[in-house]
Amino acid sequence: MTDAQRRARRQQRVEALCAAALRALAGETDLHFRGRRLHRGERRLPVFAPHLSPSPDDDDFGSLRGAADGIALRLTRSDATLHARCAPESAIERWVFDALEQFRVESLAPATLPGVVRNLRLRHVRWALACERDGLTETDAGLLLYTVAQVCRAQILAEPVLEQTDGLIEATRGALMPRIGHALAGLRRDRTDQAAFAARALAIARAVGDLVRNAVADAGERNATEGEAAAERRARRALAAWLDPDPPDTAAGADGLAAPGSRPPPTDAPPYRVFTRAFDRELRAAEQVRPAELVELRARLDARIAAQGVNLPRLARALQALLATPERDGWEGGLEAGVIDGRRLARLIASPAERRLFRAERAEPRADWVVGVLVDCSGSMKPHAEPVAMIVDLLARALEMAGVATEVLGFTTGAWHGGRALRAWQRAGRPAAPGRLNEVQHLVFKDADTPWRRARPAIAALLRGDLFREGVDGEAVDWACARLTDRPQSRRLLLVVCDGCPRDTATVLANGELLLDAHLREVVLRREREGIAIRAIGVGLDLSAYYDFSQVLDLSEPPGNRVFAEILRLIEGRRAR
Amino acid sequence: MTLPLPAMPASDRPERLLGVRETFGIDADLHVPAFAERSEHVPEVDPAYRFNRDVTLALLAGFRSDRRVLIQGLHGTGKSSHVEQVAARLNWPCVRVNLDGHVSRLDLVGRDAVVLREGRQVTEFQEGIVPWALQRPVALVFDEYDAGRPDVMFVIQRVLERDGRFTLLDQNRVLSPHPSFRLFATANTVGLGNLNGLYHGAQRLNHAQIDRWNIVAALDFLPADEEVAIVQARVPRLADDAGRALAAAMVAVADLTRKGFAAGDLSTLMSPRTVITWAENVEIFRDPALAFRLAFLNKCDPAERPVVAEYFQRVFDRELAESHALGDPPAAGAVPRR
Repeated sequence: MTDAQRRARRQQRVEALCAAALRALAGETDLHFRGRRLHRGERRLPVFAPHLSPSPDDDDFGSLRGAADGIALRLTRSDATLHARCAPESAIERWVFDALEQFRVESLAPATLPGVVRNLRLRHVRWALACERDGLTETDAGLLLYTVAQVCRAQILAEPVLEQTDGLIEATRGALMPRIGHALAGLRRDRTDQAAFAARALAIARAVGDLVRNAVADAGERNATEGEAAAERRARRALAAWLDPDPPDTAAGADGLAAPGSRPPPTDAPPYRVFTRAFDRELRAAEQVRPAELVELRARLDARIAAQGVNLPRLARALQALLATPERDGWEGGLEAGVIDGRRLARLIASPAERRLFRAERAEPRADWVVGVLVDCSGSMKPHAEPVAMIVDLLARALEMAGVATEVLGFTTGAWHGGRALRAWQRAGRPAAPGRLNEVQHLVFKDADTPWRRARPAIAALLRGDLFREGVDGEAVDWACARLTDRPQSRRLLLVVCDGCPRDTATVLANGELLLDAHLREVVLRREREGIAIRAIGVGLDLSAYYDFSQVLDLSEPPGNRVFAEILRLIEGRRAR
Repeated sequence: MTLPLPAMPASDRPERLLGVRETFGIDADLHVPAFAERSEHVPEVDPAYRFNRDVTLALLAGFRSDRRVLIQGLHGTGKSSHVEQVAARLNWPCVRVNLDGHVSRLDLVGRDAVVLREGRQVTEFQEGIVPWALQRPVALVFDEYDAGRPDVMFVIQRVLERDGRFTLLDQNRVLSPHPSFRLFATANTVGLGNLNGLYHGAQRLNHAQIDRWNIVAALDFLPADEEVAIVQARVPRLADDAGRALAAAMVAVADLTRKGFAAGDLSTLMSPRTVITWAENVEIFRDPALAFRLAFLNKCDPAERPVVAEYFQRVFDRELAESHALGDPPAAGAVPRR
């Protein structure tokens, strides 16, 4: 498993635990992380205070716990409307005001939850040390904000100032106290009264705001040699690092493999359009590969699956337990208990020792589901083709054993970099915002009417590398869902296997990055509302930004029982949202 | 088959009035009729029992004004013992019948049975529990009312009405209820079946019947203070201040599991009964974490245990073996502990 994959899996695990703790502590059922940001339902929540956005990559678990606990307290102990009404306009004041309100709610952590208190303290220590380490305290303005945070937290929570930073803030504190001392003194007393506290916090925020602006201006004057404007600009940049509450998106890994990392949700998305559908194709995958080659590929796949030793009957039973419901199906006779079977009474008279005179209603498990597996056949999936094909094949087989109809579908493009669609656009004089520009290719490896046995060679076509090009996820999900909707089964599930966000160079170049992302999100949301359960299997990548239910899989080793256990949990998707 | 139920005592009417405030510790100016003597079917009084105000008032209305009361609540909230303890304090004879999917009409109404009389076998009608109780000053409690088959439960349809007579078809007899006959039931669901997956075997009930219950009281989880008091009352070793803090922490964990259940993070939750078991296990094992494991954690799905470990850490500031924190690789840029 590469480092990026390991990080993605850890991030998902840690976020799931923190979100669970958050939901329990706040008593709200619809809080969850999506693309690393906390959401309530479909709405993203703001970052409440500077220290509440630790990065799953750089910070330890205790820190993440502390941030989650802090957010839970903020959600339960603070009136958001009152806070918004009192909040000052300017960024610096706002920063101080937000931080003070957060310290207030943290001081209200109930004594029955000592673990929460410890996590909050730990998070604060980590945050403070990270500020120092990252050089945020090196400018005057930065040191001032840092000192305000330290002093106010110590005052409100009645805890001593962090020992390690005592020396650092000594001088600044001396200069600061005369300006804010009065308001500061009453903070702890008013911590249970948000309105009164807000008035004091506002006074402190104003005083600090003036000091910080002076400090930035001073930085310009002092460094006359460097050029006043440049120094001031530098000071402002340093300040911006303080005030920007959103952490930089670190999803893109250093090794380049995770480059198609989930992008944060866009604020406003352009409407989705398609420039031309003239070159779009829906193909049967088996017809794209020579039959002789298919046989060869199938033999390779079978050998790999046999070597893996996945317990198929067990997997089928687990799927059946998950998807099937008992249904009454006639009567079972010849039982020793139950309802008397009148037709057998004659036997009792003939042989009084006979006990098998009863009958009972029989219940048969029946899975009224159709499951579609949609495989991303974009170029970056090529290295994962083998494990993905094994998973898909085993799943299709096990689902069939469980009595579930399955479809195996794929999506790619007919050409690289736009192909004929791009050329058509160029010929048309490159109109602005053309929409999707590529030859979309949808592949059917197995439809629901074909039994697995007959679809075996076709599934092996997943190993054929030259099918893999680019991918337009949104349209593919829409297409797969439409196919599922046409089936008679009453319940529908779509499993999307992919390794990144939609990627199509020509479309991105002509429309910007947001078009495909936004469309995928829109499609998933719409189809889920229609009652199709959509689950995403991320191949070493967190897909929570697009899908409500996703799981990062580790495919560095061939898929074994552990991988299927994770997929089962994903299908179960119990968490109500 | 004979129901082994002896005759009733001489007094078959409640003879005195008890003040609710003194008897149940509930702030209400009410008086309820009570029997003067304890008889065989009066349950034992549990002096440590804490009465929930709303449910107790509903039950007392049932006893005082002859109302049919159905108590609904999650498991382990003490529904059945609530009825029993109210009856115990009123000296009211109380008979509990556990319903299940196999209780049939014959069990409830009665049947013809072969008995020995003067050395000869004769067939004789034996009353079932419903006609038996109906003619006596008895509080009949149907436990797990929603486990009874809805088609069978129609036999109590008439009895659910006040003064509703009961016709014994087998004997061409019409029974009038005894003035001190009372009917109660407890159930996990409100007759809508197993909606949350917790109550396997709960039936969907006929709403024409649910409608006939005069009072439906919900006994869900109690306020934390009351639950702490119950735990302390049940486990005497927790009676001091340190014990109170421990009990409060246990109730806090239970509360987190209940919220986690509501959010779908857990498929099990801690009932007050589990908390009491946990407290009792602490007495045995002297270690809250081990006792917690034995009382609750081992009942959880292994995949959910890390979440429970998170809850436990918040309250006890200790890591369970399942905690993610113990196996978490140190993050790349984590600030080292100084």
